[in-house]
Amino acid sequence: MKTGSILAAAMALPGMLPSAHAQVTVPNATLIQFKYLYYRDYQDSGNRITVKSPALYLLAPISESWVFEIGAVYDSITGASPYYHTVLSGASGEGVEDKRAAGDITVTKYFGRTAISARAAYSTEDDYKSVAGGLTLRHATPDQNTTFTLGGGYSSDQISPADGPAFTRTKTTVDGIVGISQVLSKNDTAQVNLYYAQQRGYLTDPYKALYGVDQRPDKRDQMAALIRWNHYFEGLKASLRTSYRFYHDDWEINAHTGTVEWAQELPYGFTLTPSVRYTSQSAAFFYYDPVYDAALGPPFPPGYVNNPNGFYTSDQRLSAFGGITPGIKVAKSFVGGWSVDAKAEYYEQRADWRVGGDGSPGLQDFKAQLYQVGVSKKF
Amino acid sequence: MKRFASVFTCAGALALSVALVGCSTVQPWQKGNLAKSEMSFDHDPLQTRFEEHTYFSKEGASGGMSVGGGGCGCN
Repeated sequence: MKTGSILAAAMALPGMLPSAHAQVTVPNATLIQFKYLYYRDYQDSGNRITVKSPALYLLAPISESWVFEIGAVYDSITGASPYYHTVLSGASGEGVEDKRAAGDITVTKYFGRTAISARAAYSTEDDYKSVAGGLTLRHATPDQNTTFTLGGGYSSDQISPADGPAFTRTKTTVDGIVGISQVLSKNDTAQVNLYYAQQRGYLTDPYKALYGVDQRPDKRDQMAALIRWNHYFEGLKASLRTSYRFYHDDWEINAHTGTVEWAQELPYGFTLTPSVRYTSQSAAFFYYDPVYDAALGPPFPPGYVNNPNGFYTSDQRLSAFGGITPGIKVAKSFVGGWSVDAKAEYYEQRADWRVGGDGSPGLQDFKAQLYQVGVSKKF
Repeated sequence: MKRFASVFTCAGALALSVALVGCSTVQPWQKGNLAKSEMSFDHDPLQTRFEEHTYFSKEGASGGMSVGGGGCGCN
């Protein structure tokens, strides 16, 4: 009886109870976040792309059952992009310069333990436009220990290359997600998501098609299974966040991706988070190694003359490799809901680092640095 | 498609096992640690967006977190 009366008393004061993140409850605070990302990637052949991105995010509960979220980002992109394999466009004296502006809005309506979110997103560049939207339904059990997620999305993209003969092509993506989040103990929470996407339309890289050889199928079916598990170490005052994703598509790419993050609480409101991410993927079935046709020379794959309409790509992103990203983040929270953070990461892809098979030979290692600084306020 | 079906079956079985393990009920007043921001799956929305976008534009694999994200010329 005593336990029951404590429970009843606690239930009468919902604002006094902690709200675990797996739950479906209206957020009780407005969050404004600003971040700036500096990104650069490079190979032995030279510097490739540099991106500078300021971004803004707002989450605002505007009534007891409605929540708005707005995101905006502006990318300034400069540098050089490979024509084929790791041969850079910048090597011929012509660099890449582009701007990208993107925004999205999500409106969520809560009906008790059920929430429906509608999202719309827009992204524009000189040579690319994307309009996307999605609906996500979340439903929690009465004890708020289990949450089910069901979502569907659609994206319509338009590609108009800035070089070569003028043309505009389109591609569409339909995707869906089903997931379950589960509170496993007072220190454990886990999530499993299954994701499926169908891409249709122009999936070729128009610049690699112009300066190299790139002809891809006009359909791509993708699936991913994502598992996340967070554990809190009470004695150490630290959160361990882990994830694993298996990915498969009908271009015959299989990928395994895992992350581990250790968020250590420290005195004076500091949190130190070292992290590591590892990924390993196989190559698309139409990726060809940097071995070229004896008569035609680079960038043509052997036998190209006999099958000029076949599927080909020299895109390193569709080759077989492993990638590792170590990172470190420092955050400090202040009274009044303010917090600041800074994160540095190093990312490298190498053919040798693939597990469960050989990596694609003959490519230079790909390296990148990511730096983020941010400030946020909750009120 | 057979491959997709088998993967989904395995993942579904895994999801079910997670749900069954979770039958040990955690009471509302025991969720103080789980309520910490660092224990959230989306503890830093802009960081997640930056990193997802970066890997989306540099790797062959993507997806698994949300739907209707939209594309970009970076891939």
